[in-house]
Amino acid sequence: MSLKSDLHRHVASLRRYALVLTRDAVAADDLVQETLVKAIAKADTFHTGTDLRPWLFRIMHNTHISELRRARTRSDAGMDLPDPIARECQHTELELKQVLGALDQLPEAQRKPIILIALREMSYAEAARALDVPLGTFMSRLGRGREALRKIVQGVGAGKLAVLKRKEGGE
Amino acid sequence: MKQSDDRGEHADLALDMELMDYADGTLAPEKRAELEARIARDPEAREAVALWRHHDNLIHQAARSADTLPSNLKLEKLERELARKLAQRRVRAALFGPGVRRVAASVVLFAAGWGAHSFVAAPVDGGPAHPYFVGPTLAGHSYYLFGAAQRSDFTGDEIEVALDWMSEQMQRKIESPKLEMLGYRVEGSRVSLIDGQPVAIFYYRSPQDELVTVSMSPHGQSQPGYALQESEIDGSRMAYWTSDDLHYVIITNDAEASLTSLAAAVRP
Repeated sequence: MSLKSDLHRHVASLRRYALVLTRDAVAADDLVQETLVKAIAKADTFHTGTDLRPWLFRIMHNTHISELRRARTRSDAGMDLPDPIARECQHTELELKQVLGALDQLPEAQRKPIILIALREMSYAEAARALDVPLGTFMSRLGRGREALRKIVQGVGAGKLAVLKRKEGGE
Repeated sequence: MKQSDDRGEHADLALDMELMDYADGTLAPEKRAELEARIARDPEAREAVALWRHHDNLIHQAARSADTLPSNLKLEKLERELARKLAQRRVRAALFGPGVRRVAASVVLFAAGWGAHSFVAAPVDGGPAHPYFVGPTLAGHSYYLFGAAQRSDFTGDEIEVALDWMSEQMQRKIESPKLEMLGYRVEGSRVSLIDGQPVAIFYYRSPQDELVTVSMSPHGQSQPGYALQESEIDGSRMAYWTSDDLHYVIITNDAEASLTSLAAAVRP
């Protein structure tokens, strides 16, 4: 695979990651843009022969942290995501909103591992490198984050989902 | 008893790496049956895995929706710029890596830095001066000779394809060096991007299995041209000259080879 096509795939991945991080298409592209500008500036420090993807994601991670520090609070863009590719049914959309809303309630340290793994493009080790943390730290943050997400979603969404599912069941 | 820290009541599930691997489909097959038996007896673990996967699917779906966003010209431009910078970085790393430095440390051109756009490198230690375009070929020659990680983009069998590619990249007709007429066989070729300028490099072997490296690079209108000159650096013999719109360099370790004959074959 050539450098150009590799990079093209990675930029598409960065866009996916940025969209879930920011929940806003314009903010996502801004984040990718800033990441690429920094990557261009740092290109001379890239170790050839190493994997480009964790390097790019690490730049995006650091860029996003700086952005958060500047903004102090996360964007309140709410649900400005484009329509999901597969819109299975009404309760899937509702669940998606609930899960992303719950994801926003997690600390950044737990939120990012969950999103990176959900992209399904990196191993645990690669994702840990992208976040610049040891693998053990990454795994414990991922596990704790997933459990925290489960508890939040179960607590918040159980009632609404039950109503929707009953309706779909013909009640 | 519930834990009071941020791990919550299912801290044991959160730190169960096998369960995590299982949820992500990365658990080793030999461990899968055992774990499935375990979660069959543990409804809490079963529910956790099911929800982790479900949430992961939803987040994945949200992420994939980025693929439906309209293309962004700014991002595309930056992507091309980054690809160019990384390609340059790759070439520089190959040319200035430890292997090459060891071989070429004493080479005047490297000391002067051919990337500095100087037309003639300043002599060091009383050594001979050479124009900047000799540098890339010497580095490529040394790198290949010492078995470093660099690989040719084209094999010897692909010379016609390589010439088409080179002609396209260099926006002028690139002819084969034709060293086959002298009994040499082509081993490979490549195009390197040096400071944004393509350099076509060919690798040949003599009948005695000695390496001969030939390069062609664009001769800019503002650059001086060179009549054929022969030289020797670190046991490598070289010839370089400018003809029409190209600079040519030949480098070999073959003590018997006639550089004049090689040059005549490269550019009759």
